[in-house]
Amino acid sequence: MGKEVRKEHPAIVCRCNDVTVEDVERAIEEGCRDIECLRKVLRVGMGPCQGRTCIPILARILARKLGKKVSEIEIPVVRAPIIPLPAHLALKSIDADEGGND
Amino acid sequence: MRVVIVGAGVSGLFIAYELAREGIDRIVVLERSYVGAGSTGRCATGIRASFTSEEHVVLMRESIRLWEEHSRGELGDYGLTFVRGGYLWVARREETLDYFRKLVSLHNRLGVPTRVIGADEAKELVPQLRTDIIAGAMHDPTAGKSYVFTTLRALMKACSERGVEIRTRSAVTKLAAEGGVVKAAVLESGERIKGDVFVIAAGSGSRELLKTLGIELPTKNMPRHIMVTEAFARAFDPLVVDWDTPGAPYTVQSTEGNFFIARELEEEPELSIYSQRIDFIPKALKPIAELLPFLRAVRVLRYWIGYYVTTPDNHPVYGPVKSYSNLFLATGFSGHGYMMGPVTGKVIASWVLRGKPCIEHAARLTLERFEKGALIKELAVVG
Ligand SMILES: Cc1cc2nc3c(=O)[nH]c(=O)nc-3n(C[C@H](O)[C@H](O)[C@H](O)COP(=O)(O)OP(=O)(O)OC[C@H]3O[C@@H](n4cnc5c(N)ncnc54)[C@H](O)[C@@H]3O)c2cc1C
Ligand code: FES
Repeated sequence: MGKEVRKEHPAIVCRCNDVTVEDVERAIEEGCRDIECLRKVLRVGMGPCQGRTCIPILARILARKLGKKVSEIEIPVVRAPIIPLPAHLALKSIDADEGGND
Repeated sequence: MRVVIVGAGVSGLFIAYELAREGIDRIVVLERSYVGAGSTGRCATGIRASFTSEEHVVLMRESIRLWEEHSRGELGDYGLTFVRGGYLWVARREETLDYFRKLVSLHNRLGVPTRVIGADEAKELVPQLRTDIIAGAMHDPTAGKSYVFTTLRALMKACSERGVEIRTRSAVTKLAAEGGVVKAAVLESGERIKGDVFVIAAGSGSRELLKTLGIELPTKNMPRHIMVTEAFARAFDPLVVDWDTPGAPYTVQSTEGNFFIARELEEEPELSIYSQRIDFIPKALKPIAELLPFLRAVRVLRYWIGYYVTTPDNHPVYGPVKSYSNLFLATGFSGHGYMMGPVTGKVIASWVLRGKPCIEHAARLTLERFEKGALIKELAVVG
């Protein structure tokens, strides 16, 4: 699914979803013009780290390939809960409300 | 013929795809944000025909057939998938099973083979299900799911190969008409995109846009919350609905392994999709983790809001509009526009090219029905 480009020692951009520099460059060549498109096509930036590691790198690759400044690249909206939230912790708030003993 | 489509969600793209396949070579899709930015990229990807109006059942059955066909054809080669995982509505109360039996007889009469099953059989379908707190379930074996991002990507690829131009970051602010004919879509920049035919598939933006032509669309944008967990190996196939809990919480595992978890909370229409409520996360998790206790151990990655664009009868607004000869609509899909994507494409393309829909039931879904009071009756609304 878009992640077909493989070298022997690939440079990984997104560790969460195993996406390489070549994958990103090719998606841009195929028509992606922003990070949102790269996210949809390659699933970059949607792993457990919420793109904290890879989105800045993606912005730089896009800027380089499109001849823009990094500051001109739109950064996607950050969505709650920002860091992955274990379900049992989230449930504590409600268990407490309802007198549960978890 | 030059066709201008507003909105690059599942509807706009399937319409563009079907028109391009029929040989229309001048198609432009105008999208104010990015492809899939509307409800499409925010949806839970469920697909089913178990409704209780003839119109819905006929259209959805055809849509399921098309999902399957596409997954084996060109779009499948480009990554579109369809998994016939079924839907499972779980009943916590015995009385609910009586209600399910009524629904099943309606579905069966309309040709959808749903069944009421016992807790043990439900557990065979979803091995992680806790059976001590459920009475049984209703099962739709013909339902399924299709991962949204691979669908969008396949459509983008197939459309651009056929010369369809998809212009993102191009918001349409106004439609300009003369003497009952739409002439141009006017962009924020002032640029006028001229065309012979205009199709409005702009989801939650459709109503405002149509006001510029004096058309009143009876739709509301209802905010719906949903979250996704980290990915795991395949656990179970069906979309599981907790029917007896208010707001009908549900979960489904995507083909990528993440679990979508959602529940309807009481909300006012038009609430901004950026008004997140942190209480949603435990409220949706609690009932679902009761039924599927292993979910207590997973981590929630993201939570967001998207709109259900609803009409008074929860059926879409399709097809032509009396006052303009070259204008077609495809919006108001409520909570089931993703599943309708393929049939929406076929129906609207045939309306544009041949003046009538390829499925006659679609002709009952035009905007005119609200003026005439000919609303569609769903005998029972489920989810
Ligand atoms: C939480 C949630 C779960 C759902 N689950 C399911 C499900 O399981 N199964 C199912 O079938 N459906 C589901 N739905 C419903 C489904 O998402 C929608 O019905 C469907 O995506 C509608 O697609 P669309 O292409 O008509 O609209 P959209 O995807 O909203 O596309 C419209 C596009 O038009 C653009 N636009 C708007 N105004 C303008 C303008 N003025 N100029 C240019 N562009 C414009 C928007 O940016 C948008 O990209 C769910 C919805 C939500 C919110
Ligand atoms: S490194 Fe890309 S999402 Fe984590």
